[in-house]
Amino acid sequence: MFRPLRLAALAVFVLVVFLAVPLAIKAAGRTDFYYTLSSVALLAIASSGVWLMFHIGRINIGQGAFALMGGYVSAILVTSAGFSFWLSLPLAGLFCAAVSILIGLPILRLRGVYFAMVTLVLTEVARLLALALPITNGAKGITSIPAPGAIGAFGVTLVPAFDTFAERNLAFYYLSTIMMTLCFAALYRLVHSRIGKLFVAMQQNEELASSMGINVPAMRILAYAISSFLGGLAGAIFIAIAQSIYPSSFTVNDSVNFMLNCFVGGLGHVFGPMLGTLVLYFGWDLLFAIGQYQLLIYSGVMVLLMLVLPNGLLSIRLPSRRGARK
Amino acid sequence: MEQVVANGLYLGAQYALIALGLTLIFALMNVLNFAHGQMYVLGGFVTYEIYGQLRWPFVVALFASAITLAVLGGLIERLLFRTVIRRSVREESTMLLAAGIAYFLDAVILLLFGEKQRGVPKIVPGVLRAGDIIMPYDRIVVGGLAVLFIVGFILMMQYTRPGRAMRALAQDRIAAQLMGVPVEFYSLLGFALGAMLAGLVGGLLVTITGVNSGIGGPISLKAFLMVMIGGAGVVGGAIAGGFILGMLESVGLTVLHAYGDITYLVIFAALLIFLAIRPNGLMGKPWG
Amino acid sequence: MTSILKVNGLTKQFGGLVAVNDVSFDVQPNEILSVIGPNGAGKSTIFKLISSFLRPTRGEVLFQGERISGLAPHIVARKGVVRTFQETTIFKGLTARDSVIVAHHLRSRASLIGYYFETGLARRDEEAFGSSSDEILEFLGLGEVKNEIASNLPHGHLRALGIAIGLAANPQVLLLDEPFAGMNHEETRRAVELVRAVRERGVTVLLVEHDMAAVMKISDRIVVINFGSKIAEGAPAQIQKNDRVIEAYLGVEDQSIGL
Ligand SMILES: Nc1ncnc2c1ncn2[C@@H]1O[C@H](COP(=O)(O)OP(=O)(O)O)[C@@H](O)[C@H]1O
Ligand SMILES: [Mg+2]
Repeated sequence: MFRPLRLAALAVFVLVVFLAVPLAIKAAGRTDFYYTLSSVALLAIASSGVWLMFHIGRINIGQGAFALMGGYVSAILVTSAGFSFWLSLPLAGLFCAAVSILIGLPILRLRGVYFAMVTLVLTEVARLLALALPITNGAKGITSIPAPGAIGAFGVTLVPAFDTFAERNLAFYYLSTIMMTLCFAALYRLVHSRIGKLFVAMQQNEELASSMGINVPAMRILAYAISSFLGGLAGAIFIAIAQSIYPSSFTVNDSVNFMLNCFVGGLGHVFGPMLGTLVLYFGWDLLFAIGQYQLLIYSGVMVLLMLVLPNGLLSIRLPSRRGARK
Repeated sequence: MEQVVANGLYLGAQYALIALGLTLIFALMNVLNFAHGQMYVLGGFVTYEIYGQLRWPFVVALFASAITLAVLGGLIERLLFRTVIRRSVREESTMLLAAGIAYFLDAVILLLFGEKQRGVPKIVPGVLRAGDIIMPYDRIVVGGLAVLFIVGFILMMQYTRPGRAMRALAQDRIAAQLMGVPVEFYSLLGFALGAMLAGLVGGLLVTITGVNSGIGGPISLKAFLMVMIGGAGVVGGAIAGGFILGMLESVGLTVLHAYGDITYLVIFAALLIFLAIRPNGLMGKPWG
Repeated sequence: MTSILKVNGLTKQFGGLVAVNDVSFDVQPNEILSVIGPNGAGKSTIFKLISSFLRPTRGEVLFQGERISGLAPHIVARKGVVRTFQETTIFKGLTARDSVIVAHHLRSRASLIGYYFETGLARRDEEAFGSSSDEILEFLGLGEVKNEIASNLPHGHLRALGIAIGLAANPQVLLLDEPFAGMNHEETRRAVELVRAVRERGVTVLLVEHDMAAVMKISDRIVVINFGSKIAEGAPAQIQKNDRVIEAYLGVEDQSIGL
């Protein structure tokens, strides 16, 4: 099937993210934006996991736990076990997925605010664990994590070591945005396949779904594992950029923010979390200029936004299109 | 040992009152009030200003805390939640709103009162010594007041007209509406009442532990814990959850004192196991 | 004839309340069997026990001689016993057609991974589900509204959609909980025809229903439940004459609904 509009949108996206933005940043000399945008990309990945949970009808306010966990797994593998960063990345994601399966078995039976509250508590558990376990080095955290090394195959260097880049953050920018593109493409495919339909059916009515022979508990675990994988992946890359990790690297606030990113972008669309993260992160950054009123205005705008657009930014439809649909 | 129990009871009474407010709002509106901790902090600061700074009687200050939060809660319901609940497609949207309000109140509190830890003079001096128990009189007074408020709240829910109406609303919103209960009014009243309870505890506890602008989030988290233990949306559950958490903290801090933050880790782990067995807490109604 | 479904001494207690008390009955292949009784008698609970959404306190349910009590609900559905719901029969936010397509889950041959990568098998599945859904919707008179969001449909259509979703799972036994509730005379008449037509497709139908006239018209046999216990079983004509039924059930309903 050939969908010209979709292809065009994808082409524009790729050109903007991988070409126009780096060029613009270079021209403007604002290289700090590499870091900002990398963060946005990574937070969007973590938020997309939360979005997937919304898609099956669960409010996940525990993504911070998995971002933290992913970060620690990668950091420990790289610093203590001598793993390459590139290998630690999927391992971090898989570790989080595995843990989420174990935790998910009991807690995914909970619904509504019960699930939301338990996941919120999980973030706090992750922080306390990081403080208490010997391997995470307590409050001192893990520091001077080396930058990602080179990837080569058959003597050909595919990706040079990040330290060899003149602008290290540009390398991270590309790493983060490529990852984001891949994750969202995979997620888009998922929700538009039959699996996505099953997820929506579960969101709408779990009992009826299982009455139709859908293995609801297993599907819930699947969604949670994917969600946590994405959280762990994002956390691991984040830590590589920061080159250090502490128990407070991802907190309850981050968990809440991941959820807010999804809301602000809109729960009805896969790209909601991407847009939401961009808007909220940049909104926050821009408001830095007004100093002490930053949080006041930020949260005030968020509340107003909620009043005007309770279904998220992507719920805006051009009037003509709505007319045509009727 | 008796000391630990006495501390647990005193703490539990405060916690139960916090959890009652949260569970009331949840039961009536199906809203998880993220801003509950911030409301508590606000109540604490009102009492701090009136009793601690202006040196007016403590009772007046406590009353002011309650009224301030009741008005604020009423306004929040009327102006914000009602609109969003009506207009949004998914009921989870109220969570964004609640979280946004929590941030907003955090910002307001920070701007108005600064980041310093604030304390007030003791409301009653002296310490009670009875056998092995050592309990400052102010803790006894504050604990007693909390119990008084809890009893008052239960009596109100059981025997007054608004109490019965709110219980009907919590049972089945649509049925209550059909029976002619003015649903919107009682939602507003319930929200105001829930916020008021948070403010009251803030006003009570500022006399013991003081208050600072950063504790709103952690207090909310504790309130969630209590509601999870007892079961969301049930008065008895909130009270049970409050006392249980108070007791756990009291015991935990004594037994696991040497290990620092382990207390909460142990509580969380126990909670997860408990919820695996009883997903709706001690007394919560099954969901859906 | 061997029975397709056997309910053996089924008992369910909720705390102190005995909602279902030692109920036994057999269901013959391809019959329409109605379970009736006053409100709160335990009818829905019996259906939840049969479809394994609840675990019986005592007793068991056998499907084709095999015990299905205690299995997960989706496994019971996979074996061929499918329940529709009294309250929320539908996926509210999906279109009628999508709801029925989703409900074809048990007929899928491709794996989840296959669906993700849209293999040939997956695509053939999707096509088959699409045309089968269209056929079912047409059969139940929903062809016109198949692209409407379910929550926008009028009441009569919702009940029909509930049945359509049930049929999509290709059941051998379909449990319908109050399919005629909230319908007017004409809608009920049509729905009765639909249930008959479902049976003509070879499906065994179990029905919980309040509408006495409809039940008497449609059922091959009736089981009467009062306060959790079975008080009578038999053909409609027998049930209408049964003293215990008249006393326990019809007598009460006399005043309450003016029957
Ligand atoms: N999950 C449950 N927990 C406690 N009691 C229940 C539950 N489900 C049903 N009941 C009780 O069991 C009895 C039978 O209910 P039900 O089977 O729904 O009746 P019917 O469908 O015949 O109207 C009622 O008294 C009801 O209150
Ligand atoms: Mg029923």
